[in-house]
Amino acid sequence: MNFIFGEVAGILIFFIGLCGLMIKKSIVKTIMALTVMESGIILFYITINYTPDTIPPIGQAQEAAFADPVPAALMITAIVIGIGITAIGLTMFMHYKQEHGITHWTRDRNQQGSERKC
Amino acid sequence: MLGIFVLAPILIGTIAYIIRDTWAKPLLFLFQFSYVAFAFSQFLSVKANGPIIWNTGGYTDGLALSLFADSLSIFMVLMTSFIYLAFLIFAVNADYFHSKFYFMFLVLEGLIMGLFLSSDLFNIFVFSEVSTVVVSILIMLNKEKQAIYDGMIYFFVNVIGSSFLLFGAGMIYRTFGLLDIRAVSAAMPMLEEPQAMILPYAMMIVTVSNKTAVMPLFSWLPKAHGTPSAPPVISAVLSGLYIKSGVYLFIRFNQMFAPVIDMQSFFFWVGFFTSVMGVIMALGQRDIKLFLAYSTVSQVGLIVVGLSMGSNVAYWGAVYHIFNHALFKSTLFLTSGLIEKEYKTRNIHEIRGLFRRMPWVGAATAFAVLGITGAPFFNGSISKYMIANGTKDAGITLLLNIINLGTILSYVKYSAMLFGKSREEQPGKPERIAAATAFVLGVISLFTGLFGEFLTEFFFGIELQVDTAEYIKKSLVYVFMLVAGVAFYKGLLKRDRILERIGTTELTFNGIITVMTGYFITILVFLSSVL
Repeated sequence: MNFIFGEVAGILIFFIGLCGLMIKKSIVKTIMALTVMESGIILFYITINYTPDTIPPIGQAQEAAFADPVPAALMITAIVIGIGITAIGLTMFMHYKQEHGITHWTRDRNQQGSERKC
Repeated sequence: MLGIFVLAPILIGTIAYIIRDTWAKPLLFLFQFSYVAFAFSQFLSVKANGPIIWNTGGYTDGLALSLFADSLSIFMVLMTSFIYLAFLIFAVNADYFHSKFYFMFLVLEGLIMGLFLSSDLFNIFVFSEVSTVVVSILIMLNKEKQAIYDGMIYFFVNVIGSSFLLFGAGMIYRTFGLLDIRAVSAAMPMLEEPQAMILPYAMMIVTVSNKTAVMPLFSWLPKAHGTPSAPPVISAVLSGLYIKSGVYLFIRFNQMFAPVIDMQSFFFWVGFFTSVMGVIMALGQRDIKLFLAYSTVSQVGLIVVGLSMGSNVAYWGAVYHIFNHALFKSTLFLTSGLIEKEYKTRNIHEIRGLFRRMPWVGAATAFAVLGITGAPFFNGSISKYMIANGTKDAGITLLLNIINLGTILSYVKYSAMLFGKSREEQPGKPERIAAATAFVLGVISLFTGLFGEFLTEFFFGIELQVDTAEYIKKSLVYVFMLVAGVAFYKGLLKRDRILERIGTTELTFNGIITVMTGYFITILVFLSSVL
């Protein structure tokens, strides 16, 4: 039996992304790992309920069974959201780096910018 | 019709963003008043005729993207719209009340409504992602260094949390071919292998636990809710309303999986430890906003405990506590903003003599503190009474009393601000409208307690018989605990070094994600040993 198919690969890629989030301190790498996670999810979605010999549900022709269009439709939305998320994350990071020169997650409240007022 | 709840605030927010400020304010208030009225009419209609379903595009129910309002969700909608009205009135004269702010603020309202009403898993994911973006922009509104750092932590942690939900929804779709919560719930008992639900359940529950900020996953919450430079209204909307969307999804998802998965005992303990941890962290804080943020953690823990006790009374008590917490925590955050402005510090040890210096704000704070600690006649006492009524077990009652003692202990520290003598300083500009709004919210905490029996019957249709003898007994326990709390605090905990050290510990971003993964694995292991 073949174990290398879309769903398993999707799950693996998701957890590889998660692993990157756990061990990488750089903010840019965090954003990259987030994108990796998302591609894992997308791969998972577009391969679920997929059977060979199906055709796209376009037009009225009925020579073969239609493929399930819902996951693909969902993933178009998810990709758009993913792009938005990546863009906003990068914008925040760029602003933070340019203003304050910080590229890594830190534990130090001073470095984060707390004013030690109280 | 339910689509209006989601769409209208976003449209009005956009219009208010475009037109001039002088016209925008009347528009906003007119809109919000009619919105509350509309929510109330829909509430009455749900109460009279049962749930309302709104399917897009005229597809059959279960396949369409649908909005769904039953007695629980329409109550949340009503609560949100009402408290939003109070927030708008509070903020109307503030310097941050400009077009960018109220655009984002109203969009957030629509998104929260979407989370409450949506019955479709993918839509819930979309709403939670977009609201995460909006909330993080609101946190960073002042573009201060610390605020941007906190906003980034909040943003990334919640986006990662939501991607778990997307993955879980994919697995649900793979098994059932459905995404509608009600349809999946109906199909759940037909499942032949309950083991197939372990992974999707664990994925989805990680998302909602992250949004609810239960025990190991709360590190982002104080950062987001207690950001120093964020306007008080934003902290209040996050702590009072937005966190409730997580609790609401927690209820919905657990209901959905109820036929195959029962995690009540697990979440009872998770809720208990969340509550205790929240109190311990709160006691170690000096900053009033951080204190209130950690106190939110502890109250959410109490709500989760109430929801997981497996009794109907305790369940509705927890729902009533959601409403009560929205009231008094909003009051506390709003007043904390006014206090900070007047005293020009957030240090809890430096603020004294609130009653003398700001009588109305002091009174509002006092009402809210009495409410949150569950003083007799206040709303907290009713919901805590209902939660405690859900069990006859002495051990569980003891645990609930420990939670309540912790709450009282932490608010003894907070209410020290009310008394004493303030340093002589020039009094600042009085903010009458803001103070009056906070005061009215505080007074509502009293009235929702006085008419608790009537309101629970009206909102939830639960006939609550408050046993006078038992209520008096509980009140005596409260007084006793209050005395014990004061003595304990004055004697031992005041400026305790160990507590302060615990209070300042925090996880880094990588730590938060690692803990999230650990939580995910714990749930997987727990479920595979149970099922």
